[in-house]
Amino acid sequence: MSRSLVKFAAIILVIAALLYVGVYGLDFTDKYRIPGVMDSDGITQGLDLKGGTVIVFRAATTDPSEEDMDNVVNLLRRRLDFQGYTEASVTMQGSNKVRVEIPDVQDSDTAVETLGATAQLEFKDANGNTIMTGSEVTNASSEYGQTEQGISRNSYYISMEFTPEGQQKFSEATRTAAAAKSSNMNYITIEMDGNVLTAPRVNEQIDSDSCIITGEFTADEASALAANIKSGQLPFSLAVDEVKVVSATLGEEALSKAITAGIIGLILVLLFMLLIYRLQGLMADFALMFYVAVVLILLANFHINITLPGIAGIILAIGMAVDANVVIFERVKEELKLGKTVRSAVDAGFHRALSAVIDSNVTTIISAVILWWLGTGTIKGFGITLFMGIVVSMISAIFVTRFLLKQMIGMNVKNPWLYGLNKSKTGSESVKGGKA
Amino acid sequence: MFDIVQKKWIFFGISLALCLISIVSLIFRGFNLDTDFSGGIALTYEVKGDDFSTEDMSALVSEALGAGKAASSVQKSGSDVIIKVGYDKDITDEERTEFSNTVRDSITTALEGKFGAPVVDSAAAAEATAAPDETAATEATADPAASTDPAAAEAVATEAPAANADGELTSGVRLKSMDDISPSSGRELARSALWMSLLACAAILLYVTFRFEFTSGCVAIIALVHDVLILLGVYSILQISVNINFIAAVLTVLGYSINNTIVIMDRIRENTRNSRKETYGEIANNSIWQTMTRSINTTITTLLTIGMVFIIGVASIKAFALPIIIGIVVGFFSSVFITGPLWATWRDSAVNAKRAAAGNGKSNSKKK
Repeated sequence: MSRSLVKFAAIILVIAALLYVGVYGLDFTDKYRIPGVMDSDGITQGLDLKGGTVIVFRAATTDPSEEDMDNVVNLLRRRLDFQGYTEASVTMQGSNKVRVEIPDVQDSDTAVETLGATAQLEFKDANGNTIMTGSEVTNASSEYGQTEQGISRNSYYISMEFTPEGQQKFSEATRTAAAAKSSNMNYITIEMDGNVLTAPRVNEQIDSDSCIITGEFTADEASALAANIKSGQLPFSLAVDEVKVVSATLGEEALSKAITAGIIGLILVLLFMLLIYRLQGLMADFALMFYVAVVLILLANFHINITLPGIAGIILAIGMAVDANVVIFERVKEELKLGKTVRSAVDAGFHRALSAVIDSNVTTIISAVILWWLGTGTIKGFGITLFMGIVVSMISAIFVTRFLLKQMIGMNVKNPWLYGLNKSKTGSESVKGGKA
Repeated sequence: MFDIVQKKWIFFGISLALCLISIVSLIFRGFNLDTDFSGGIALTYEVKGDDFSTEDMSALVSEALGAGKAASSVQKSGSDVIIKVGYDKDITDEERTEFSNTVRDSITTALEGKFGAPVVDSAAAAEATAAPDETAATEATADPAASTDPAAAEAVATEAPAANADGELTSGVRLKSMDDISPSSGRELARSALWMSLLACAAILLYVTFRFEFTSGCVAIIALVHDVLILLGVYSILQISVNINFIAAVLTVLGYSINNTIVIMDRIRENTRNSRKETYGEIANNSIWQTMTRSINTTITTLLTIGMVFIIGVASIKAFALPIIIGIVVGFFSSVFITGPLWATWRDSAVNAKRAAAGNGKSNSKKK
């Protein structure tokens, strides 16, 4: 008996510890730590909770090549990085779309403009006449070094390379521009979609396949400008297919309400199981807490993107989680009614219910996997959490509950009433339970 | 105990009637497609202060949009109002961007005119006022010759939150969320939703036929189609708007409503193995009743949790929970009252066809 008690107490402690870790995390050192859901880095909130902007761009051309699309993805990522949105994500969606998610940004108009402005890079003279376009620039990069002879100070500058045609056009333009030096009209503007990126002064004709733009650039400014110039080479412009903006307040409200719903739902299920299945129900409740703990730990440590439907998936899975136990316990009750001892009834119940439990969960897993695999955005999040919830719940309902019940029986807690039978048959088991 | 198999025609009748009504409605009424699928703009505003009715709001929106245009739906949810405006099917990208901006701006202006500009909680407001100054500063440097790095300038501009994005709204009206989807994107989504559902059906069918004998597999699939058909029917009849979350809910119902069926079929499988004397009808009826408490209890626990989500959650999550709840209830009905009797009937007719004169068939044929 005492051994069972020790085992029982041990597993309860383990569940409690797991719950603690799931909620608050565990810090061994600053580096080696397990985040919990309450930690700031614990939960990766989807945009529908955190607030932010989702933009889906579509290539405004038929059948863009994979390479071109990769370029677009890289370019958008770079632009977002340069602008400080390091948490933003850029992913391909289908064969001709790019999905951009920018947390915390509500001003979608500016975001669309800044990101989508990949269409046309133009070089113009002081009078606004177009000299050449971005397709004649083969490369642009930011560099650091000495820019003029005689000046020892190093600075950031942008280096551009031209196609032969571009070289010729640029040469002509710089000649004209340099000639206008006296009237202070000696500059060339580089515009993207009509917005001026930079307007460098021209001091002399440049007839070379490369040139540099100097100025008081910081490292970031120089590389941003270089990236912008380079991006002018994109073979197509991007059309905006979808824009979603969620304010942070809406997300907060949705999150807090969903958590409240989850906690109340959990408590109701715990009470329901306790009332209907008594001692077995209590064990199922411990198993359910194990489920909650494991799910929290998974959420916090695998950076699963939590969306609103995702939370619904977790909550739904709480209700589904006990299904396996309901199937098993009903079976145990039937076996008890047949006059089996508690021990053999529990064994038989678990054994016989197993096929039903597995079969009925597999179909739900199929649906969840399809949503995870083929869904986009929030639906993907739902698929992931539903899948996770069902798998973890099945494990906890079968193994944890069974282990706990075995310890109970080991402690000689064998009153059939406690196992859900209505008429107490204490004492009768030694008479009828010969089979065990 | 009440013989479900004996009374099967009552339940078959109910099911057939519901399915028929659903089919008729699906053909003639169709769905009320949300902007997810049809393409359009959905705007959610938070309105504090004056209470409003949906009718007033609709009128206000129609007026703001101008002649000939109206919102496809105006929906009230607590102190929020969700306004949806559809796109023409063949609108071009340029027209769409312009249309979307006009719609948003004119509705916002109209609402602010009626309910007042947003006033937010002072603490949050202080945080927000710092931003506009920065924006102004960057605009000043946007002169061609001086500007060297517009990307950085724009970065500051985007970081500045829409002046009142954070903090508690105390009065007035403010845009909480916006959803703008092109018609082509919607069509694509509908296509992928259809694919997902078909794939799920096929995979579940495959699994069920692999695990159970053919009759049980077919019965389970019939129940599944029945559940989804009625779920779709409810949405068509009540014209509840159908969005991408609905598809996820339908797939969940596909996977979950079959649970009860499987447990009953599993019991039928076991009882068939153990007993040779009983008729298929008796086996089915016994199996249904042996698993009844379990079917009810499981349905209750699932409804407890998803029901809480429906009662407490925000509008978008309510819309997600509702089809799951309907699916679970319909699934319970079909599993308990349809699948067992259907299985018995099917088996009996197969047996009758095979050995019409045999004694085993006699007791079965009485039930016909």
